Amino acid sequence: MSIQLHDVGKTFGSYTALRNVDLNIADGEFVAILGPSGCGKTTLLRMLAGFEQPTSGEIRMDGEVVAGASTLVPPEKRRIGMVFQHFALWPHMNIYEHVRFPIRTHKKTPKAIRDNEAARIGQVLELVGLSHLAKRMPHELSGGQKQRVAIARAIAAEPSLLLMDEPLSSLDALLRMNMRREIQSVHRQTGSAIVYVTHDQGEALSMANRIVVMKEGRIEQIGTPQDIYLRPETEFVAQFVSKANLVRGHWDNDLFIPEGSGSSVQWRGAGVAGYFKSNGLYPVRPDQLELGPAREGGLVGQVANVQFQGKEFNYDIVAAGQQWEVVSPVPYKLHDKVSVTIPERELQYA
Amino acid sequence: MATSDTSVLETGMKKGGGTFPRSLLSASSLGRYGLLALGAAATFFFFVLPIAKLLLLSVQNEQGFTMSYYFELFRQERFWKVLRHTFVIVLGSTALSMALGIVAAWLMAYTDLKRKKLLNLLIVLAFVLPSYVLTLSWSSFMGTQGLMASFLQLFDAGAKPWSMYSAGGIIFVMGIHHFPLVYLFTLNVLKKIPRDLEWAAKTGGAGKLKTIVRVTLPLSLPGITAGGLLVFLASLDNFGIPAFLGTPVNISVLSTLIYEEIIGFGPSAFARGASLSVLLGVIAIAGTLLQWFTVRKSKATETGRTDDEPRYALGRARAWVGGAMWGVLILITIVPLLSMITLSLRKSYGGKLNWSTLTLDNYRYVLFDNPAIWQAIKNSLVLSSITLVVCLVIGTLFAFYRVRKPSKLNKLAELAISIPYTLPGIVFALSMILVWMEPVPGWNPGIYGTTTILLIAYVCRFLILQIRSGVTAFMQIDASMEEAARVSGAGPWTRWKAILLPLLLPGIVGGGLLVFLTALTELTVSALLYSSGTQTIGVTIFGFEQAGKTLYSTALSSLIVLFIFVGAGLLQLLQKGSARKGGNN
Repeated sequence: MSIQLHDVGKTFGSYTALRNVDLNIADGEFVAILGPSGCGKTTLLRMLAGFEQPTSGEIRMDGEVVAGASTLVPPEKRRIGMVFQHFALWPHMNIYEHVRFPIRTHKKTPKAIRDNEAARIGQVLELVGLSHLAKRMPHELSGGQKQRVAIARAIAAEPSLLLMDEPLSSLDALLRMNMRREIQSVHRQTGSAIVYVTHDQGEALSMANRIVVMKEGRIEQIGTPQDIYLRPETEFVAQFVSKANLVRGHWDNDLFIPEGSGSSVQWRGAGVAGYFKSNGLYPVRPDQLELGPAREGGLVGQVANVQFQGKEFNYDIVAAGQQWEVVSPVPYKLHDKVSVTIPERELQYA
Repeated sequence: MATSDTSVLETGMKKGGGTFPRSLLSASSLGRYGLLALGAAATFFFFVLPIAKLLLLSVQNEQGFTMSYYFELFRQERFWKVLRHTFVIVLGSTALSMALGIVAAWLMAYTDLKRKKLLNLLIVLAFVLPSYVLTLSWSSFMGTQGLMASFLQLFDAGAKPWSMYSAGGIIFVMGIHHFPLVYLFTLNVLKKIPRDLEWAAKTGGAGKLKTIVRVTLPLSLPGITAGGLLVFLASLDNFGIPAFLGTPVNISVLSTLIYEEIIGFGPSAFARGASLSVLLGVIAIAGTLLQWFTVRKSKATETGRTDDEPRYALGRARAWVGGAMWGVLILITIVPLLSMITLSLRKSYGGKLNWSTLTLDNYRYVLFDNPAIWQAIKNSLVLSSITLVVCLVIGTLFAFYRVRKPSKLNKLAELAISIPYTLPGIVFALSMILVWMEPVPGWNPGIYGTTTILLIAYVCRFLILQIRSGVTAFMQIDASMEEAARVSGAGPWTRWKAILLPLLLPGIVGGGLLVFLTALTELTVSALLYSSGTQTIGVTIFGFEQAGKTLYSTALSSLIVLFIFVGAGLLQLLQKGSARKGGNN
């Protein structure tokens, strides 16, 4: 299913949840909507589901207008599946009945599936690895199993769009990593478009074809995971997704001279977004920076805090009147003087 | 989100969906506003207008507005005497309820007593029984022919138990009838006080007693106060106990005085009854506001998590504390009940008690020989069944809108609907008479004196009970349950049938059963609204008691007790059945 959002806005009373959202989603695409809580991502998702009506603009699915200021196709008439944050399993139905429900209930279930209901249920349960638990009730399942049931239910009637609302946030850390793999495999096998809402940039970067970063009801940047991570276009994306330091300094065409370094230090940055250039900033991720023994002529800073992380250290370095976060495998002690550089290999994309 | 998705829900219904609610709920926005206006009008007509009429009548005579009814009341010696009795009885019984309730709640919440589930049932029983059944039990127990008399006569042949027909008797029965209310309120509050607050006090050097006085007590005070105010209101409202125990010895309280005024049919009986009702209603509403305020205050301190684990080990004292508790509970409910039942099995009131004098004659008379009684039982059953169905449907739908689509309008409607239950029953009953004699000037629907007015009164008074249990049930169902069904393609009809109703059922059936039993055993409202042919069970028992036919009244009361036990058993089975199907997800 291809989806177009055109200038979509939503207000709740005096509060504006979404403004001027333009977005196209191609058939079969995995799109992650990433942003902090309250950025409007859930509202956007619920709008795609049909639970919310836009106050302005319109949403088309396969060319047909499904929502606008005066029209709304309700969720039950759209061919969608949805996975909820807290599973939303029905306590009075077993797993088999959960998967059967949309197949029987949805008016648009393909005939091939409706006619071979039992086979389809078996197939879906197989896909999420729950065939042996078909008769269990929801309260007899672990968190991960519940989420698999929710996914099985969502895909059972073969929706052309699968919506996921922070599906991993109620699971513990280890399970989250495993479930990422499962969701990727569901995407590969069903081939339906997925819109995945999350506040966890790791989930978005690892699974999505495209990421939509949102802030305060607006889209900040749309791009592939690499685009978003390596070439942020706004201050917010640089800090929220790549945790970048925004180094102050001044630009000389495509060369950046950080504040307080004299002019001996120059960083290349042809690919750095215009916003940063016009504001005298250079986004640099903690892992791009390298620490070395203090030497004359470069940027020299002092270690203000150290956290040992196992394979590396997280440092807070105070240099040239700014505080930077740096990740480095080299051990230093508190108050050590260190030089801060960006190695050549890190500058090749810039 | 909860506030926002509802507008879409409604638009979604408008756009299409199932066939059933489309026509019912919102065919067009014109229809929707029409329905809304109709609902508002009905709410006003059924719940607000009666009170307005009552107020109006108390300040009006042929010449126009006047306060003369009030001034006349204030001049009467009798009024002040009744007021004094009312306050002594209400305050006395409230104090007794609070003492019993707090002790029971503390023991049940914090100590390691055994068999708490059964104890809990036994405590609540005192409140589940209709007040006049408890009254009859105690008057049988303490009567000259009762078990207490036989017991005392073992020591002294001439001994007579203390008479229940006195202010003290009323205070006592009211106190034990209402103490479960304080108990339930306090239990809930106590269990929600975080255990670590007590630990913190102990690590700070406070001893056991100091911890209770400085930490537990202040934290539970709002809850205890709210429970106490609730009992105060219930005592003010109660009609059965003072009518059974006070009227024969000329002790009146406000509720029975209003009844006597209306039944006495003086020239200005309704007006005087109305002004008394306004006074009683004002006290009740002041109490309700105070109660509402303290509940809100106590909500601010609670953490929300109930902690069911015991906090104090009674150690060696456990056996006798438990024993004492069982003893007291059995003595205040079970023994008097048995006493009433044995009385109902006697051939004559004065006869000796042994196997040969036991008989089912009284039951035969009540059930088969007297068509008027059978008619009353039928009336009560039919009335409470229809009340149940009407409340179940309207109450559940209203609760749905109240929870899923909260608005100022339906909040206001809920407030209006709670008026008849908040007001003392006798006040509400009088307002029903006033409004239904001539609802709109020039139109008399002629339902005063028929079962219809009883039905309207029951539904209006008990609807709020069903709404409250419905609201609780809906709050436990996350909106995502319905949303998951919607994305699965379920229209409104399927959502109710396959998801909402199965999940709601235990909650609303519990509420429905409460409505049914309350309506079945209703006395106060019926006492004012019945006429010949439309008697109810409660009114019939009241009539027997007034006529001194104790054997018949105890027999009919015993049947009610049987009915309640069967109903409670059914509810228990239902809840067990649904618990097996699985708890939360």
